[in-house]
Amino acid sequence: MRSRLADMLYENGAATPEKIAIWCDGKTATYREMCDLVSQYSNLLLSCGVKYGDHIAIPMNNSIESVAIFFSAADLGVCLVPLNPTLPLEAIKAAMDSGDTKHLIARKAFFRECEKKGGVEVSGFSICLDSEYPGAIPFSAIENMSTERHPCKNIKGDESLILTMTSGSTGNPKPIDISQNNKYDRAMAHIRVYELTREDRILAATPLYHSLAERLVILPLILGAASILLPRFTPALWLECVKEQKPTFTIAVSAQLAQILEALSRPDAPAVDSFRSIVSSSALLEKDVKLKLIDLLHCEFHEMYGTSETSTVTTICFQKVRDKQKSVGLPFDEGKIRILNDDGTDCPPNVIGEIACLSSLTCKGYYRQEALMEAAKFEGYFRTGDLGYLDEDGYLYFAGRKKELIITGAVNVYPHDIDAVVSVLPEIEECAAFPYPDDRLGEVVALAVVPKQDCEINIRQVQIYCARHLADFQQPHKIFVVDCLPKNTMGKLQRMNILNHVRELGLDE
Amino acid sequence: MDKIQEFLLDYIQREYSLPEDVDFVTFNYVESGYIDSMGLVQFIATIEDEFGIEFADEDLENPKIHVIGGLIDFIKSKMDGELSGG
Repeated sequence: MRSRLADMLYENGAATPEKIAIWCDGKTATYREMCDLVSQYSNLLLSCGVKYGDHIAIPMNNSIESVAIFFSAADLGVCLVPLNPTLPLEAIKAAMDSGDTKHLIARKAFFRECEKKGGVEVSGFSICLDSEYPGAIPFSAIENMSTERHPCKNIKGDESLILTMTSGSTGNPKPIDISQNNKYDRAMAHIRVYELTREDRILAATPLYHSLAERLVILPLILGAASILLPRFTPALWLECVKEQKPTFTIAVSAQLAQILEALSRPDAPAVDSFRSIVSSSALLEKDVKLKLIDLLHCEFHEMYGTSETSTVTTICFQKVRDKQKSVGLPFDEGKIRILNDDGTDCPPNVIGEIACLSSLTCKGYYRQEALMEAAKFEGYFRTGDLGYLDEDGYLYFAGRKKELIITGAVNVYPHDIDAVVSVLPEIEECAAFPYPDDRLGEVVALAVVPKQDCEINIRQVQIYCARHLADFQQPHKIFVVDCLPKNTMGKLQRMNILNHVRELGLDE
Repeated sequence: MDKIQEFLLDYIQREYSLPEDVDFVTFNYVESGYIDSMGLVQFIATIEDEFGIEFADEDLENPKIHVIGGLIDFIKSKMDGELSGG
């Protein structure tokens, strides 16, 4: 068995108790304080009656306490279901159902929202993080908990540690099932590939309910390095944090980097020289953005390709491989790549097909939806739904998406989720969400709606309906009323042609 | 605390508490990252829904509404306008 994540944290606590383990939003915790917090959190959960194998839902923000609960869960054999707190209640309910959650940890605003809208089913305990709430145990009870550690003896490492939700507001979300061993293997692979050491200060600037930030906070704490956790992302907050905290390594999403470049290019921007290495993820950065960032950040610049299911699969260092500037790199030692045709045969070099990955870093599967993961695999390779090709030297190039997806600020939005919500409106015959280009976020959600005969669509009403029933990242930024949607001869929606369609109609001005 | 302020503060603090010493009137919730550009569309629509008012597209460009005090004034003036049929 691999080392347990909590054991590694506690070992660092014993070896370097006074070293700063984590910074977030102006607060810090040393390794000793972090270990004490994890023990107290574990003891709070135990006092509430948590058992090995229980699942806990947690609409999660970026805070030191949120990081602590990952280690508590790992130490107790408990599974966390981190959720986006801005999801509408019905989406939270769907996620809790599909994640089989028994307990709930949330902020007061969440409990109040539940009360207003009919509540959520919690068969176990509830903890209110920031205040008191009827029926919930206040998180402040943690102060009375012992700092003595009581690890669960049964842990094997392959239990579910985190269920990450991939989608959406409707239907069944797909919970990506990640074990403690997965997290350990992924952390070790990144430590090796990016040559991370205990001296590094590792910045996480994305939400903790996504696997990227989870990795970026767990990794430093098991390594004995320092974790820097940005509570919320704006380019200005990022710059201020970087100036003060001097991180040496981060994996950022490309939409963030484009915004950071804009802020860094202002005349009053501070000089940033602490980074040794930055990795860009989620979409290929434009070459001139990359070059300007390198010029301003003075560090090694990597790009990577991966998915939540497989973790990072390929990586490339821009400065070290000069002749493959558009590639997302070579596979990690843990993985292999194939480029598949629709019939399952392999594409020859330089021919585009679907990217499929075989990696020992791949998640356990989709929780209680084994058939879905089996369906997504071909001869053991996970079909990513992304298009790409390999060159003669085995370097991967990303070429777009096969599956219909909108990526807004690195967050995946499944257009079907939006279609399903909006199409319920009585005046709408049909509708389709589609990606709309945006300088800051890469893409935002746009929506084309077709009114029923003799009906008029009030765009405001559609917006209000969306505000109630969709998460913030799913909100349509633009709504176009059209007579029909573009379809092929078989009547299949041509979602990626909608933007052209509305432009041809002169609606996008 | 007045109802508009309570509603706005509850919404803005869905994920993070505001700093204890914050001056609500001048606090810019967008610059501080409490609501990002994706969330702003939802926030405004929720306000419209809650208070029965309508923001014009140009209102959304007005930086005044990114500050809690400015937003409260804006909502109040809209409500007065709606009530007087304006």
